[in-house]
Amino acid sequence: MRLILLLVLLSPFWCCCQDRRGPDYVKSNYDKLEAYIPMRDGKKLYTAIYTPKDHSQPYPFLMERTPYSSGPYGDTLYKGSLGPSPALMREKYIFVYQDVRGRYMSEGDFEEMTPAKNRRSDKQTDESSDTWDTIDWLLKNIKNNNGRVGLWGISYPGFYASASLPDAHPAIKAVSPQAPVTDEFIGDDANHNGAFFLLDNFDFDNFFDVKRPAPVKNYSGTIFRANISDAYKFFLELGPLKNTNKPEYFNHQGKIWDEYLGHSTYDAYWQARNIRTHLKNIKPAVLVVGGWFDAEDMFGALRTYEAIETQSPGNDNHLIMGPWTHGAWAGKVWNKFGPLDFGMNVNDRYHEIEKKFFDHYLKDSAAGAFPEATVFETGTNTWKEYPTWPPASARPVPFILKEKGGLSYAKGGSSPTTANGYDEYVSDPANPVPYIDGVRGGRDNQYIITDQRFAAARPDVLTYQTEPLDSPLTITGRLKADIFLSSTGTDADLVVKLIDVLPGKEEGISTPQNQDPAGYQRLVRAEVFRCKFRNSWEKPVPLVPGKVVEVKYDMNEIAHTFKKGHRIMVQVQSSWFPLVDLNPQTFVNIPTCSESDFQKATIRIYHDAAHPSLIMLPVLQ
Amino acid sequence: MRKLLFSLLFSAGSLAGFSQGTSQDSAWIRENYYKIEQYIPMRDGIKLFTSIYIPKDTTEQHPILMTRTPYSCAPYGSDKWRNFTAGYLRYYLREGYIMVTQDVRGRWMSEGQFVDVRPFNKDKKTSTDVDEASDTYDAIDWMVKHLPHNNGKVGVFGISYPGFYSTMAAASGHPALKAVSPQAPVTDWFMGDDFHHNGAFFQMDGWAFYSSFGKPRPRPTTVGPSGFDYYTKDNYKWYLETGAIKNILKLTGDSIAFWKELYQHPNRDAWWQARNARVAMYDVKPAMLVVGGNFDAEDNFGAWNLFKAIRSQSPATNSHLVMGPWYHGEWASNDGTHLGNVQFGSNTSFWYQNNIELPFFNYYLKGKGTEPKLPVATIFFSGANEWKQFQQWPPADKEDQTIYLQTGGGLSETAPSKKSDYSEYISDPAHPVPYTEDVHFYRTREYMTDDQRFASRRPDVLTFQTPEFTKDFTLAGSVIADLQVSLSSTDADFVVKIIDVFPDDFSYEPQAKGPVRGHDQPKTYPMGGYQMLVHGEVMRGRFRESFEKPVAFKPGKIENVKFAVADVAHTFKKGHRLMIQIQSSWFPLVDRNPQKFVDIYTADDSDFTKETIRVYHDSEHPSKIILPVLK
Repeated sequence: MRLILLLVLLSPFWCCCQDRRGPDYVKSNYDKLEAYIPMRDGKKLYTAIYTPKDHSQPYPFLMERTPYSSGPYGDTLYKGSLGPSPALMREKYIFVYQDVRGRYMSEGDFEEMTPAKNRRSDKQTDESSDTWDTIDWLLKNIKNNNGRVGLWGISYPGFYASASLPDAHPAIKAVSPQAPVTDEFIGDDANHNGAFFLLDNFDFDNFFDVKRPAPVKNYSGTIFRANISDAYKFFLELGPLKNTNKPEYFNHQGKIWDEYLGHSTYDAYWQARNIRTHLKNIKPAVLVVGGWFDAEDMFGALRTYEAIETQSPGNDNHLIMGPWTHGAWAGKVWNKFGPLDFGMNVNDRYHEIEKKFFDHYLKDSAAGAFPEATVFETGTNTWKEYPTWPPASARPVPFILKEKGGLSYAKGGSSPTTANGYDEYVSDPANPVPYIDGVRGGRDNQYIITDQRFAAARPDVLTYQTEPLDSPLTITGRLKADIFLSSTGTDADLVVKLIDVLPGKEEGISTPQNQDPAGYQRLVRAEVFRCKFRNSWEKPVPLVPGKVVEVKYDMNEIAHTFKKGHRIMVQVQSSWFPLVDLNPQTFVNIPTCSESDFQKATIRIYHDAAHPSLIMLPVLQ
Repeated sequence: MRKLLFSLLFSAGSLAGFSQGTSQDSAWIRENYYKIEQYIPMRDGIKLFTSIYIPKDTTEQHPILMTRTPYSCAPYGSDKWRNFTAGYLRYYLREGYIMVTQDVRGRWMSEGQFVDVRPFNKDKKTSTDVDEASDTYDAIDWMVKHLPHNNGKVGVFGISYPGFYSTMAAASGHPALKAVSPQAPVTDWFMGDDFHHNGAFFQMDGWAFYSSFGKPRPRPTTVGPSGFDYYTKDNYKWYLETGAIKNILKLTGDSIAFWKELYQHPNRDAWWQARNARVAMYDVKPAMLVVGGNFDAEDNFGAWNLFKAIRSQSPATNSHLVMGPWYHGEWASNDGTHLGNVQFGSNTSFWYQNNIELPFFNYYLKGKGTEPKLPVATIFFSGANEWKQFQQWPPADKEDQTIYLQTGGGLSETAPSKKSDYSEYISDPAHPVPYTEDVHFYRTREYMTDDQRFASRRPDVLTFQTPEFTKDFTLAGSVIADLQVSLSSTDADFVVKIIDVFPDDFSYEPQAKGPVRGHDQPKTYPMGGYQMLVHGEVMRGRFRESFEKPVAFKPGKIENVKFAVADVAHTFKKGHRLMIQIQSSWFPLVDRNPQKFVDIYTADDSDFTKETIRVYHDSEHPSKIILPVLK
């Protein structure tokens, strides 16, 4: 969530996507109207409505509902650009921006990820009803509309796009949830598999959680000031999670922060905030968009698509996954990320599909044959289309951890060969494994793709790799980790990383100068799992010291080709700091635990016949 | 040594900024000098190839300034001239020195057999008893007798291996030799220079150097040896995969004689003792100027310890020491403003050249000026970024102060009171602690001031630090590590690093930008909280009682490991902290200790074992660091 804010406020590529037109273009082609639209409970939501000056035809609405401000405020101040892309702005829609309930200039109280109500009474509200009431008002009050509505939004606004879907107003014809925040305990933003994303949350909530006495055009700064030049050091010295509420930090001034810390299991609070359970009987066409390098809501995109697909099987539902960081598809150009060079502007294709989607369902001005899934395959840097997602032709193939750092697989996915023994390391909360090398103040989103050699050199990171591949291997679909471990402690984190080891210099990756590209360990996917949740998200259970347990978890979908001559590598570690908060490695309630609860633990990863630790790769046939 | 060779050979191209001045100098030199090439006969009949640049001026007599080198007096051919103009050596030509470079016995175009760091023979009896001192004597003797218009005064200087030959020149006793400057002199390859530090093998420097330098030269040649072909440019990977160091020997077989010899002398035996240049430093006649770099990765030990040997063994000698904040040879470069990310506030190299070296030779060889009032020691203090001068080293107003390692990572003057306490880590030869952070191949010179935060983050590195200093805190002298340790096995290395922790809000002035870890990255390195390596040193545990007779550790037994980390000249500014890091590998800079008491040079890969190392900090077994504090 955090990054999209930065992107809106600061990012140069956002400026690019304004197509150098700016407010003057908007002003000369659109009229702006501000309205406080009344909801069924009497609360009014601030709404900015931009209507085309050209009245020669009726237009559909295209709306974003946001907690990040619909400004600039005032009927003489115009946005620099309108809609999800410049092409759609030129195409002419009635663009609507609304401050969601309780944010900026809208009345009411804000609630984190507003829980959806399945059955509404007259006065009960949620995001679906607020969207309904808004649309109802727009259809009646804005002239020259064609009676159809579309919604889009990235990140938190992506959630509001998703939240419009259950019991959707019949005028809603097309919705594009993009990197939608979907379930913040299982995989988005706040937690991944129950592990708290400390670095992102601490920074995001400091700004987002500022109180508002009444509707405001600007929130006053942040809850606290922290000048963090070395995040690793800062969070290590900060100590247990409860110290974030010290007077110099949140000081219990963050409502959401205290909610996060107050709900350390998948309890009713989090379950009510899982929008997936409500994505049933969905009528509008849906285009879900997500990024393979999205550090915040990749989970949300994939799982929103999946939830609609399985729970609303007849829905006209589509997925686009590209090589994007959080929201990068909104920019005009996206051809590189860190050392990766995609060899094309991947946003060209994306913007074409997005425009067709809205034009078709809202204006009938474009043909409607959309592939089910349009997916960018990393490694080969190619767009692929699939009639189902994940593709039916992908088969899960176990890659088995072996002694002496081997990683073996049987072609065709036959049963694994037996292996022997275990490897162990000491996971020390006083010296956790950094999530990236170097010294950084904020979260560097390149951690998701960069060289892992710094980690391989550590004694608390286990490394397993195949021989160089004699032919290319494409994986497309769900990735799963299945690890047998024991610990001397009563809780542990497990971080499994899938890595593509380069045999040498190659096109598409500019490895750092003066550094040998041979052996470069390109991170392809990594995910954390908090082991206490291995049996249940709701009821955590301790590890029994010395007892082997199986920890099996999803690492989301992937689409990547390991080229001939490359090696497939898996790294296993028990911290990823300070991206993820430290697991005390004792079974305690982490948000309230003390310094003394943090203990070194010896962790064993087994690879014997009875305990074949593996990673399951979806190999495309 | 290797780095210097490279910089001498290749530096000219990188100094384009000086081209205008230098092209004028170049024309002047061509007009005012001529070059001859001369085979100078030694007492045993062997002839040494010598390049001599002589002023055309005959109105006065000229002094001779010589460097003897194993790195070639190239370019060869009397019409091909050495590029004196790239650096400060051009000032010697402006002063009319006869500039001489000589290929040492057995290298390049000289006849005879090369012997690495050829032992000094103090009892030369016949004309076949030759060593580097006698070769220098014979060369000087020939030159003062044969070179036209020489004034009968000779100086010798040289950096690195040529620094060793300068030391040997000083031992020649030739009466015409008036001034000698050994600079970063190779002095003791077992104790602290190049190949070993306290008996631990500096495999990366050694191998990078000798895989090429050590190749045989069957007959005089102007063509140098080729380098080794590596399959990866990731040194951590190459050395880890190559494994036990006997596997490196296999790569050359018998072809590199000295490499093979090294393996036969794992301890400081008579062979190594004969190769300690300090044994030649008695009754030294010429004025001596020893020069070195506090951040010299190769021969920092040689500079400090050669000087100390001269002071103690030859007290009547007119001897001086200059130590600047320099990498190997940086004092002869055009830029002494920084190393890696750390700034020194001024061009320390220019200051040295103009205020120390030129006046030194000008006085002793030309009689120019008054006797330079060189104090005994001229030392640059990093941190404070200032030169200080002393009449002795360590300074008279230095007091030793003991700081104790504390539970929880503290460092303080109070001895620990707990009855039993220690910190422990597992040292795993399969995951040794890198000596620097980035993937790279050739040993960087910047590692000597690199940020150690990457190491602090590891579970196999112990970190202890003082509170913030409330006033400047200056170290001037030898830092001693005095550790109480126990091992789960029978041997271990101990690397002790002295670190200056910068305040979190620290930054240099915006204009003072250095390269980031030696790479040409445009962004500035984050200096807030920087953990600047001031000096690190390794001790191979088996030598804790004797370098001649190694002793195994008894597993579980608490033992004392005490060693001199280095001489340090550094000011921890107010608001900074002093940090000590302790670890048991420093890879691939230093070969891995198998952590088993076996002959490391013949050890198998299977001998390398994980072990648990405890460093004690309790009342019975206080581990401490003894700091030379300047009052």
